[in-house]
Amino acid sequence: MQGHRPQTMGWTPIPEAMTMEISRPSVTASQITALPSPCPCGVIKAEAFSLYYGQKVGVRNVSMEIYPCTVTAIIGPSGCGKSTFLRSINRMNDLIPGVRTEGRLLLDGHDIYDKRTNLVSLRQQVGMVFQRPNPFPKSIFDNVAYGPRLQGIRNRMQLQQIVEQSLRAAALWNEVKDGLNKSALALSGGQQQRLCIARALATRPRILLMDEPCSALDPIATGRIEDLIEQLKASYTIVIVTHNMQQAARISQWTAFFCLGELIEYDRTERIFSNPTNKQTEDYISGRFG
Amino acid sequence: MRLALRLAIDKAFTAATAIAVIGLAGLLIAVLGPMVAGGAQAVIFTSTIEFRRMQLNLYNRGDHDQITRQIARASAARQKVYDLIDEFKQGIDTQYLADQVRRIHRQFGQELKERDITGPTYAELRAISAQIRDRLEHALHTDDQDIWRADLDYVLGFSSDSRLIGTAAEAYFRIARQLKQATNGLDLSMRSQYALALKELEDILQELLGPRPSSAAPPLLRQQYGATRWDQAQRLLHRLLYQTKWVEQGRGRPLVRMEVPRRQRFEGTCLEQLFDYVPNHIRDMLLPRLTFYWQFFIDDSLESHTFGGVGPEVLGSILITLMAMAVAVPLGIASAAYLAETRSTGLPIRIIRMCINTLAGVPSIVFGLFGLAFFVLTFLPALGLGARPSILAAGLTLAVLSMPVMIRSSEEAIKAVPSTYKEAALALGAGPLRTFLTVTFPAALPGILTGIILSLSRVAGETAPVLFTGAVAMGPIPKSILQPTRTLAYGSYDMAVGDRIAELSPHNQYGMVLTLVMLILSLNAMAIILRARASAKLRGH
Repeated sequence: MQGHRPQTMGWTPIPEAMTMEISRPSVTASQITALPSPCPCGVIKAEAFSLYYGQKVGVRNVSMEIYPCTVTAIIGPSGCGKSTFLRSINRMNDLIPGVRTEGRLLLDGHDIYDKRTNLVSLRQQVGMVFQRPNPFPKSIFDNVAYGPRLQGIRNRMQLQQIVEQSLRAAALWNEVKDGLNKSALALSGGQQQRLCIARALATRPRILLMDEPCSALDPIATGRIEDLIEQLKASYTIVIVTHNMQQAARISQWTAFFCLGELIEYDRTERIFSNPTNKQTEDYISGRFG
Repeated sequence: MRLALRLAIDKAFTAATAIAVIGLAGLLIAVLGPMVAGGAQAVIFTSTIEFRRMQLNLYNRGDHDQITRQIARASAARQKVYDLIDEFKQGIDTQYLADQVRRIHRQFGQELKERDITGPTYAELRAISAQIRDRLEHALHTDDQDIWRADLDYVLGFSSDSRLIGTAAEAYFRIARQLKQATNGLDLSMRSQYALALKELEDILQELLGPRPSSAAPPLLRQQYGATRWDQAQRLLHRLLYQTKWVEQGRGRPLVRMEVPRRQRFEGTCLEQLFDYVPNHIRDMLLPRLTFYWQFFIDDSLESHTFGGVGPEVLGSILITLMAMAVAVPLGIASAAYLAETRSTGLPIRIIRMCINTLAGVPSIVFGLFGLAFFVLTFLPALGLGARPSILAAGLTLAVLSMPVMIRSSEEAIKAVPSTYKEAALALGAGPLRTFLTVTFPAALPGILTGIILSLSRVAGETAPVLFTGAVAMGPIPKSILQPTRTLAYGSYDMAVGDRIAELSPHNQYGMVLTLVMLILSLNAMAIILRARASAKLRGH
């Protein structure tokens, strides 16, 4: 498989994170250390970024830098703009009529909201996983191959290779390898969410946005996704919105606390959860607010 | 108490809904049952030898030798009927006999000259012949039984005259004897009425058995064959045996229909036995046999549906429906996609939506007139295709008719696709077109197909829009889409309002309607199977 890697298409394999064999961490570790480049992840930087839905404030005056190859959790009460901020990064908010932005939001130094930004390539660099698993009503193979096909990859062998690598990276390969032509809707909720992650990985993004990816899943499936995030953070910049404090504490290195559209506090996760500087943050984390 | 009341109300509601469903099912059976039963008669029925003869002559179907043998058998059984009629005619058709009597007189004179009999002998024999002629003519024109008998006896008195034996004059005595025999028991004053009754009888017999073998073929095709169907034969037999009379019950009261045995009118004559012979030997005369006439669905019809099937109508209906769908489906889906995906709520979009909703409720005859005014008279001539009704014009008219419904249902189907699918595709970098084609459209396909099914059924069964734009009641099978065609719906309408065809061949009308229903059902079945497969794919099976 690795030997047939077509370098001409610029495709580098996604590191395999075999969640099914978590008891054998040596395999995973060796896979990750064998990465071709140390860190290809993207850097996101918000400079006084605001987004309005008409007159309504989505996020206001956010300035922060999201560091590469880390997991950044965004927490905050409902309606505080954390999802809005997340969706700003791949411009999913464009679908909503009357959206306008102020300030700048930079991906590797390029303004995402620049008029010249190629939406297609932006979204291929910034993958997204949604709150509810939303696989297409197609086969597992077609789901994962959707992104590569959009990029113009038609070669069946190459597609198979990408699909396998993506599914391995999403720790789903061992469960579905015998039924790639089965409908994605026949999978369980947790499997569907991992399939959505595999689908997002197949476009070779550098940033992975996750909008409450575990809120519709049971604890076991949630555990698997968290393990997966743990594996993936070496190769991707991951931004995850979550309502679950423990989850944020478990998986993230950095945590941002949003409230009423504003960024209240942004720091290393240990500090946010152990010693927040802001009273609001402390109240929220300790459950007295929100 | 309150709980009991609530339970009772719940039960009553369930019962009411169940009764409604049962009533609906009953209604459906009541409507479809007779139609299916009637329509099946067009395909499965008991045919007679006349049907087989027709099929052999017109469509060259069946075993020639076998049918010829059967025709011979039937003719043998029919001969007796014709003999009886001929015998009876002798006593009735006085004009014919009078002509013959005069001819015999001339022939006799000729013969005497040829035998060189001249002078007083010639004059005497000639006088006797003239006397016989006059008495016979006298007898033929009298209504009085006694004069009749006296005249005939007087004529027969000469039969022993040796001078007349072996000459043409012998023909006189033959006629006289036949007359005496034929009119035994005949009321002479009724002679003209007998003639009328006989004419009626002969007409019915012609309908039942076809024209007499010796007579010239009638001009109309339907008169060249007798009853082709056993049920038709039985109706005719009833008409033969019973005469329908409308009897006045009194002043100002409606006439009452009464059936009088026809036998009464021929009581005491030689023809009376016909009324025993025909019912007893009708099977021998017509040789009924159960037939499965599947060619009904492909045969062209002859003489405005007297014979044949509905082949061209089926073809025309399918062509027009496909034509309409070929135009309406792409246009309808594209419009629906725009209306469903557009974020605009501006005035133009609202006006367009209102127009679509209004058009969905416009009576179909309006579309028919629109199609005539626009497609037939303006649009197609502008393309240089000639201003005449055609399959193309009818298809376009029906496309316009069906589009509002299709747009509405497709729009709903597209809107019903979860937005998460669209988000997922967009997040992967797909553009709006790509998202629609690869994700939204496949997911909306079952709903879109439902709209297409509804439109398809409506289009295939429409009469009014094709009335002016592409349908004809009679005409050749179209060779291109620029020619008009027959259609099942219009054909059914035309048969119902046209002339006596529906009355003469009700099975064909029922058959046509049933074919239309079956065509729509099979088109629907195809679309439903497609939809089931599409939605099974969506559900992941």
